[in-house]
Amino acid sequence: MDSNIEITSTKEKTSPLLEAFRVYGEVSTFVRSNLIAIWVLLFLGLWLLSVALRKSMAETMTSTELLDNWLYNLVRPFPSPSEVTTALYNMWAKHQLLSHVWSTLKLNVIGLIYSSIISLVISYLSVIPIFKPFNSFVKLLRYIPFIGFTLIFFSLFTIGWPTKVAMLTTGMTFFLVTSMTDVINSIPRMKYELAKVLGYNDWQVFYNVVVRPTLPQMIDMVAQNAAIGWIMITSIETYSRNEKGIGTQLYAYYSTNNLPEVYALLLIIGFIALLEDSLFSFLKRFLFPYSVIAERG
Amino acid sequence: MTEREKVVTGPLSQVNLLEPLLTVDNVCKDFSLNDGKKFPVLKNLSFSIKNIQNKPQIVSILGPSGIGKTTILRIIAALERPTSGHILITEDEPNKMRDVKLGDVGVVFQKYPLFDDLSVLDNLVQPGIRIAKLDAKVAREQALQYLDKFELFKQSLYWPVQLSGGQRQRVAILQQLMTNKHFIILDEPFSGLDPVSITNVINLIKNIANQHTLNTFIIITHDITSALTVSDTIYLLGREVDEKGEALPGARIMKEYDLISEGLAYLPDIEEKARFAEIRKEIKLDIFPRL
Ligand SMILES: Nc1ncnc2c1ncn2[C@@H]1O[C@H](COP(=O)(O)OP(=O)(O)OP(=O)(O)O)[C@@H](O)[C@H]1O
Ligand SMILES: [Mg+2]
Repeated sequence: MDSNIEITSTKEKTSPLLEAFRVYGEVSTFVRSNLIAIWVLLFLGLWLLSVALRKSMAETMTSTELLDNWLYNLVRPFPSPSEVTTALYNMWAKHQLLSHVWSTLKLNVIGLIYSSIISLVISYLSVIPIFKPFNSFVKLLRYIPFIGFTLIFFSLFTIGWPTKVAMLTTGMTFFLVTSMTDVINSIPRMKYELAKVLGYNDWQVFYNVVVRPTLPQMIDMVAQNAAIGWIMITSIETYSRNEKGIGTQLYAYYSTNNLPEVYALLLIIGFIALLEDSLFSFLKRFLFPYSVIAERG
Repeated sequence: MTEREKVVTGPLSQVNLLEPLLTVDNVCKDFSLNDGKKFPVLKNLSFSIKNIQNKPQIVSILGPSGIGKTTILRIIAALERPTSGHILITEDEPNKMRDVKLGDVGVVFQKYPLFDDLSVLDNLVQPGIRIAKLDAKVAREQALQYLDKFELFKQSLYWPVQLSGGQRQRVAILQQLMTNKHFIILDEPFSGLDPVSITNVINLIKNIANQHTLNTFIIITHDITSALTVSDTIYLLGREVDEKGEALPGARIMKEYDLISEGLAYLPDIEEKARFAEIRKEIKLDIFPRL
C-alpha cells in the first residue's frame, strides 16, 4: 500500500452562522428562534432609530426645510413605541378595545367558516362538467369591484351584522374558490387512474382522489386567504360605522390623525394573524400528519 | 409469521373455476402528431392469453423502448381506447366474451402510485372492502397476511411516503391483488433495479401469482432475461421492416414463445438451460436490432 496517500476528513464542518446564509442551509431550532429574535430586534431598532431621527430633525430644522426633506417624510408617520403602548392602554381602558377586537374576530372566524364550506363545495364540484362553468364564473367575480356587491347586500339585509357576514363570506369565496380549484386541477392524473383501475366508481373516485387527499392543501388555501379576509374586514366594517370592530376604530382614528392608535390596532391585527397562521399549520400537522412528511425522489 | 391465529381463506377459496381468457383482437392505435398527421403506434396487434388449468399464469410483453408497450398496457386496462380493434375478456361463462372496461384489469403503474393519505394497511384494506366486497375484518386479516408474507408487516402503519422504492412496489402489487381481479398488468417492474433486486422481484411475482391459482400477470418489459425467467409465455412486440431494412410504423406481436411447451417454464434453474440462452440470443439478435 502506498504510504503517501493523504487522507483528509470529508466530514463537513460548518458553523451555524454560515449555515444560516446558505441555500437550504440547515439550522437548529435554537438558531432558528434566535434568527427570529434578531429580526424582531432589527425591526424594533429601525423603529426606534426613525423615531429618534424624526425628533432630532424636528428640533434642528425649520418647518419649510422639513417639508422638502425626503428622510423626514419617510420617518414622519411613525409614532414612538411608547406612544403606541400608551394608545393601546387607553383604548383598552377607556374605549372598549377588547369588545372591538372580539367583534372583528367573530366576524373573521364566521366569515372564514362560511366561505370555506361554500368554496369547498363549489371547487370540489368543478370536477363534474356540468358545474364547471359555475366555478369559472365565481372565479371571475373576484375581479368585480366590491361596491357592486355591497349594493345587493344593503338591499337584502339591514345594515349591520348580517350584511358584514354576507359581504365577507362572498368576498372571500371568490378568492378561495380560485385557490381551491387550482389545488384540484393539480391532482396527478396517475392518482385518478389508480382508483379507476382498482375499480372505484365515480363516488369513490370523488372521495378518495379528489376530496380526501386535497384536504391538507385546502387548509393551506384557507390560511392564505385569511389574509385577504383581514383586508376586506377592515373596509367592510367601515360601511356601518356605528358598530363595533377594529375596522371602525381604525377608520375613526385615522380620519382624526391619531396615528399611535392606528399603529396599535395594526399591531393587534398582526398578532391575530400570527396566531391564525400557527393555528392553521398546527391543524394541518395534527389532522393530516402525512402531509408534512417530505416526499423523497 | 407473527402471532396470529387462523389464516383467512375467504376470498381465495371461493374462486370460481371458469376459464379466464383475454384476447387482444386486431388492435390499432394512432396518435395525432403536433403537425396534425396521424402516427400509428400499434398496428393490427393480436394475441390471446389462454387458460392453463390450475396454474398461475405469467405472460410477458417484451419489446424495446418506445415501441408501444405502455400504450398496449393502457389499452388493455381500458385507460385508453384503441383506434380500432377490441380487447375482449371472459364474462362469467367460458366462450362468452365482452369488451374490457375500466376496473377489469388491475394495473401496477411504473411509478407505483398509492393513496398517500392512507396508511399502507388501509391502502390494501379499502380496495378489499370496496371492490372485492370483503367484510372489513376479513379484508384486514387478508391484508395483514399479505404484508406479513412480503416483509411489510412492520410498515403496516407507515404512510406511503415513508416506504423505500422496493417496499412501495410490493405494496402497489398487493393492493391490486386485494381486489381479487383475475388480470394484473405490471409496467416495467424490473426497470432501474440491480440484478439482486430483479431476482427478488421475479421471485415476488412468482410467489404472488401462486397466492391465487387463477391470477394472470401480464408483465410489460424490455428486459429479455427477466422476461424469460419469470414468464410462461412471451409475446414479442416489434415492427415489420421494408426491403431496405427500415422499420415500418406500427408495432404488432412478432413472435410468441410458449415456454411451457419449450419445457422452460417453472424451472428454478432456467438460466442454466441451453435453450434459454438460445432463445435469449434469438430475441436479442433477431428482434431488438431491427428497431
Ligand atoms: N399522446 C401521444 N401522442 C403522440 N405520440 C405518443 C403519445 N403517447 C405515446 N406516443 C408515442 O407512442 C410510442 C410508444 O410509446 P409507449 O409509451 O407505449 O412506449 P414504450 O414501449 O412503453 O416505451 P418505454 O419502454 O420507453 O416505456 C412512442 O413513440 C411515443 O412517442
Ligand atoms: Mg413504457
